[in-house]
Amino acid sequence: MSVTNLNAFEIISFSKGFDLSGMFIVKEWRNEARFTSDKSASTIISKLEDVAKALNLRVRKKDNGVVKMQGRKEGRNGVLQFDIEIFEVTTSYHIIEMKQTSGDSLEYRQLLEEGIRPALKDIVLAWHGDE
Amino acid sequence: MMGCLPTKQVGRSTHSLNPREAVALAAETSCENVDLPDFVNIATGTPFTVNEVEALYDLFRKLSNSIIKDGLIHKEEFHLALFRNKKTNLFVDRVFDLFDQKGNGVIEFDEFVRSLSVFHPDAPEEQKAGFAFKLYDLRQTGFIERRELKEMVLALLDESDLNITSDAVEMIVDRTFDQADTKGDERIDQEEWNEFVKNNPYVLRNMTLPYLKDLTMVFPSFVIHSEVSEADMVA
Repeated sequence: MSVTNLNAFEIISFSKGFDLSGMFIVKEWRNEARFTSDKSASTIISKLEDVAKALNLRVRKKDNGVVKMQGRKEGRNGVLQFDIEIFEVTTSYHIIEMKQTSGDSLEYRQLLEEGIRPALKDIVLAWHGDE
Repeated sequence: MMGCLPTKQVGRSTHSLNPREAVALAAETSCENVDLPDFVNIATGTPFTVNEVEALYDLFRKLSNSIIKDGLIHKEEFHLALFRNKKTNLFVDRVFDLFDQKGNGVIEFDEFVRSLSVFHPDAPEEQKAGFAFKLYDLRQTGFIERRELKEMVLALLDESDLNITSDAVEMIVDRTFDQADTKGDERIDQEEWNEFVKNNPYVLRNMTLPYLKDLTMVFPSFVIHSEVSEADMVA
């Protein structure tokens, strides 16, 4: 899993003030989640790998540093798939984005809320999109 | 073409109609002048179809009547739409100011559509780059200054609860600024910005909303009831 270094303008682009999707998509249905962490990249990566193993998810690394995670069973709307990308603000601050790419949204949200979020507690500073 | 009737006399119940149908019926049958926007005109020059502009109108009406019921989007209503709370945010303010093209403190429907069109996947990169430049030119001097960049980075860190040292902030700001400011005059002009963006396309990641291309999918109820068909539009 590789980490994308952010320049200052890229950092700024993460602001929710620029995220106009809030106008269109009801929050409950959003299939994107983001959290910040004050751990090192390697700590974050190994934690994500542990979580994937515990939740029985297949992990595939794409060329551009994005990691794809996939459920092993067919759900209501196909197999659950989501991408994870790690962005470095500094060596000890990272923004991690998770974006669902296929499968049923409700199933994904369930996995996120019940499986992924609790398991990541140790490395998460804050989830964004939460008010 | 129906003659006009005082609204009270319109027999048909309006309960079964969606808001647009109700407005359209009122427009056809009442003597009052109900002002629907000129969807065709507003769609022209944008990547949106007329159907999509109609869908945006329904969204616009919802947003523009959420706090102050006047059919115009005020800053608080814009804020509420994006943040679901009323905390101030530097970036929302900048986006609002750019959407408010006339600078009269509210976003009108045509401004709403034209500004959103910049975020369409099919909008030209130059348009997106130009919009972003104006966004980040906080004091509207025509240049992005080092301290403006720093101010924005600090605002983002504050928003994200990221607590990095001021040394680290300086380093990030300086590294980026020096990369962009190729003329070395302590400010980033349009030309330097366009070059910088070309070399760092990820900088414009927030300037594209992919689902703007599938608007009528996002709001499926609007497809069926459109008054205007694309075929009618061929001039």
